[in-house]
Amino acid sequence: MKVEIIRASGCHNCDAAGESLRMAALGAADGVEWREVNVLEEMDYAVELGVLSLPAIAIDGELIFASLPTAKQLSLAITRRTSVRA
Amino acid sequence: MLTIGKVSKRVNVSRDTLRFYERERLLTPSGKSDGGYRLYDGESVRRVEFIKRAQLCGFTLSEIRELLSLRGDAGACCGDIRSRTIEKKLQIMAKIKVLQSMSRTLDELIQACDADDLSLEACPILHSLDQPGAARTRGAQR
Repeated sequence: MKVEIIRASGCHNCDAAGESLRMAALGAADGVEWREVNVLEEMDYAVELGVLSLPAIAIDGELIFASLPTAKQLSLAITRRTSVRA
Repeated sequence: MLTIGKVSKRVNVSRDTLRFYERERLLTPSGKSDGGYRLYDGESVRRVEFIKRAQLCGFTLSEIRELLSLRGDAGACCGDIRSRTIEKKLQIMAKIKVLQSMSRTLDELIQACDADDLSLEACPILHSLDQPGAARTRGAQR
């Protein structure tokens, strides 16, 4: 499962919450891949996902959180998707 | 100090628009004349020009209010403005994507109708638009 945070460099919201979200994602299930997407380097991809505000979270190429979730919300979203797959 | 008429001429914005900006809490007169008329200072003029330029970049009045608020916020930094600017670009690119999809759909409709002497009953464009789910852009499907 690929979890992506779409962010901009210099975004204070992203810097503050990024690490706790990364830890929550990696700890939520086995096989989680965490990727930080610099929106300025991958603008087309961000638009394709439907990102309109920053930061945002996508899971497996689908925009799941249009604004920053809590670590608990992200962990829950990953767990749900994992259980659906199983 | 400038009257509303002088500001209006200087920034090429109507008086009604300046009053509208006031109602929208984007602009506050610096004071009032003895006769009760609004008076503006140089900062007001710069503020109106800021609003006009931001509108040209696609920012809504609500977003401009936020930008102006950030501009006067000692706790804010350029990164805050940059984030909002990037978000505006994302929104505009999303709109462009929808418009491109609409343009492609229109191309398909135009290509479907290669004769301009058909009756309305035989018009492929009208026929296509009559079909449920036809001529839907990807953006409209969302």
